[in-house]
Amino acid sequence: MAMAVRAPLVRTFLLSPTSSSPSPSRPLGAPATCSVVRTRRGISSSRRLPLRANCRPLPTRAAVAVDSPGTGSREAESDSPNVLLEVTDLTAVVAESKQEVLRGINLTIREGEVHAIMGKNGSGKSTFSKVLVGHPDYEVTGGSVIFKGENLLDMDPEERSHAGLFMSFQSPVEIPGVSNIDFLQMAFNSRRKKQGLPELSPIEFFGFLDPKLSAVNMDPKFLNRNVNEGFSGGEKKRNEILQLAVLEADLAILDEIDSGLDVDALQDVAKAVNGLLTPKNSVLMITHYRRLLDYIKPTFIHIMDYGSIIKTGDISLAEQLEKQGYRAISAA
Amino acid sequence: MSSCCCGSPSLPASASSRRLRRAPAVKFRPAAVRCSLSDPFVLEIAEKLEDSLSVAPRAAPAPPSLQRLRDASSQSLLSRSWPSLKDEPFRFTDTSFLRQSRILPASGPSIDLPPFAAGSASPHLLAVVDGLVVPSLSRFSSLPQGVCVGGVSDAPSGPVSERVLEVLALGDAFQGRDLFWDINGAGAPDLAVVYVPSGVRMVEEPLVVRFVSLESADAGSNSLFVSNPRMVVVVEKGAEVAIVEEHLGAEGSDGKCYWANSVMEIVVGEGAKVFHSYVQQQSSNAAHIKWTFTRQESSSTYELIEISTGARLSRHNLHIQQMGPDTTTELSSFHISQTNQTHDLHSKLVLDHPRGYSRQLHKCIVTHSSGHSVFDGNIKVNRYAQQTDAGQLTRSLLLAPRATVNVKPNLQIIADDVKCSHGAAISDLEEDQLFYFRARGIDSETARDALIFSFGAEVLARLPFEPIRKKVASHIRDLLAAKKP
Repeated sequence: MAMAVRAPLVRTFLLSPTSSSPSPSRPLGAPATCSVVRTRRGISSSRRLPLRANCRPLPTRAAVAVDSPGTGSREAESDSPNVLLEVTDLTAVVAESKQEVLRGINLTIREGEVHAIMGKNGSGKSTFSKVLVGHPDYEVTGGSVIFKGENLLDMDPEERSHAGLFMSFQSPVEIPGVSNIDFLQMAFNSRRKKQGLPELSPIEFFGFLDPKLSAVNMDPKFLNRNVNEGFSGGEKKRNEILQLAVLEADLAILDEIDSGLDVDALQDVAKAVNGLLTPKNSVLMITHYRRLLDYIKPTFIHIMDYGSIIKTGDISLAEQLEKQGYRAISAA
Repeated sequence: MSSCCCGSPSLPASASSRRLRRAPAVKFRPAAVRCSLSDPFVLEIAEKLEDSLSVAPRAAPAPPSLQRLRDASSQSLLSRSWPSLKDEPFRFTDTSFLRQSRILPASGPSIDLPPFAAGSASPHLLAVVDGLVVPSLSRFSSLPQGVCVGGVSDAPSGPVSERVLEVLALGDAFQGRDLFWDINGAGAPDLAVVYVPSGVRMVEEPLVVRFVSLESADAGSNSLFVSNPRMVVVVEKGAEVAIVEEHLGAEGSDGKCYWANSVMEIVVGEGAKVFHSYVQQQSSNAAHIKWTFTRQESSSTYELIEISTGARLSRHNLHIQQMGPDTTTELSSFHISQTNQTHDLHSKLVLDHPRGYSRQLHKCIVTHSSGHSVFDGNIKVNRYAQQTDAGQLTRSLLLAPRATVNVKPNLQIIADDVKCSHGAAISDLEEDQLFYFRARGIDSETARDALIFSFGAEVLARLPFEPIRKKVASHIRDLLAAKKP
């Protein structure tokens, strides 16, 4: 399964030998700029490299390292962290109007990394995050998204969640009549069910929830209120992070988690997110402001414009952005 | 998804009265053409009801108040005709299956009644079986001092009986009453009375009034037993009372055919408060037609929470008349129309005095293409009802193709210094909400169930008694779960 779905990736690299620069999916300065892929075709090709001994039990580990034609084999690092998400040439349109909104996105996120996407309004940042979680308003028209070795685009939104993908909504919808604790328990138990674990009873679940509540500094009273109903902007964001903590996702996409927050609330939310970070899971933040990046330190910063990532760098990119604005970067 | 008719807020009453003034043109049999003012089908029902009351086993002479009610109603029936879709109040509500049935008066409960009345959530219980008050199934022992609950023949003479007579006389003078009101009066075997003297509080433990339809026929037999429960509630000055009205079939009677045709008259005295919960869970083949007629004196509060899920045809006629200033009226209703079910709420709130406050919320879910829901909510703000604050909202959820709802929220405002609003929304479930569930790993079916339930939960949450709220909630969950194949 994993082999089959990864084959197109290689095709992408193999069929674009004229690409002169490193593939945009690989951030500049990334510890492993060489794409590590495994393929049936790769083995028979002339670029075949020795099979690693420990590849079998861990299919997402580099099995066959096929170096991209443009870059050569200079940075083949064997012990780089596992790839969590690999987005290749992703294009998407608005389902209703067929207007193109994503025009070929390439992005690779490995375990333990924190990525930030910045960009002008309307550059496609939020659309990208919604497409990743399978929002029905958008239709993928091309490219591939591999999450933990599986084709994400084949999955329903709930399967993507079960697989370990989480998106905090920019403006979470209110759900009158459904209490927050019921909602959390429903979400938690459907994940447990998927994993073949017994569902937790309300009392057991509360025991599980209690430390998570204090981690996000949230009043337990919110549990009995209806989901997001009458919540302030900060409370809604806190609630999203609480859901993230409950679902223990591997990749958290935080869509403007900083919008509408005062400084205290932002610190709380950032602290909670940092508390959830482990070497195994990753964060993809979407933000307009550097302020958030002071609290949650990104490994990479990507600048999006006109539906694709036009530049990738480290924190210095945010500093440059702060000084010169998007115009300077677009022009560069 | 079928669409609806959202009625214009322009004067619907004028349209309906114009229709009513036309000579009733129902010609049932050629022989009946001569008596152009009478409907033979209605006359036949009236005769049957009269006969059944005179031979009933408990035909002790009826108390004068009840006899007067029957006589006046029979008289009035002579000029009534069966409603058709051409009559405005029944424009969307098809009653033809009643008309095609052989209507038989229920004969009244026998001595050995099944113990269906067990398990009430409150120590105060009034059981009314096929329209007759059954003291043996009721519990009155812990009623507060001075509160009278029971059949009219047991009501103490003096102020209580006099007040009941007064209320019935006011009902006779009520211009808005219709054929079904009169059928009830002509066929009422008993008169249930609740009297709460001034200043008495009976709120924490509500009075549960359980209306049970016992005599029923099998579906397809074309026989329809009709019972006519009648009830008068008088809440005197400054008193507070909570009443839970339940309408059920006898246990194990689901799928049986019967017709419950009840009328309840409520007087809310000056500064008094009535919290009225109304739960309708009749058999899926039953017809349920009910009148609630409430008069509110000055500074009084009336809160009605209706949850209707049963019956093939369920019609609630609700009329609230404001008798003095500074009244508060809160009406909430929730209907679920499933396979072959029609739920209809016709409400009218008439404000004649200043500073009335009212809120109405109507919600319904139609889950099946043969389900149908009707709402006609009228609020009339007359000339002297200045500084009225009236709000009305109806929201419908159509979950199947061709599911139908007809809503007509309407305000008629003559006073010039008022704050009134109304709104109507008809939709499927919100995609955004569904996606939010799915993005958290909850599959769309579970999400839909949760969202459908939560739609009604807004009304459900207003039921003031937890045991009843829980019972009704689990009933609704079962109903919604059963709809699936």
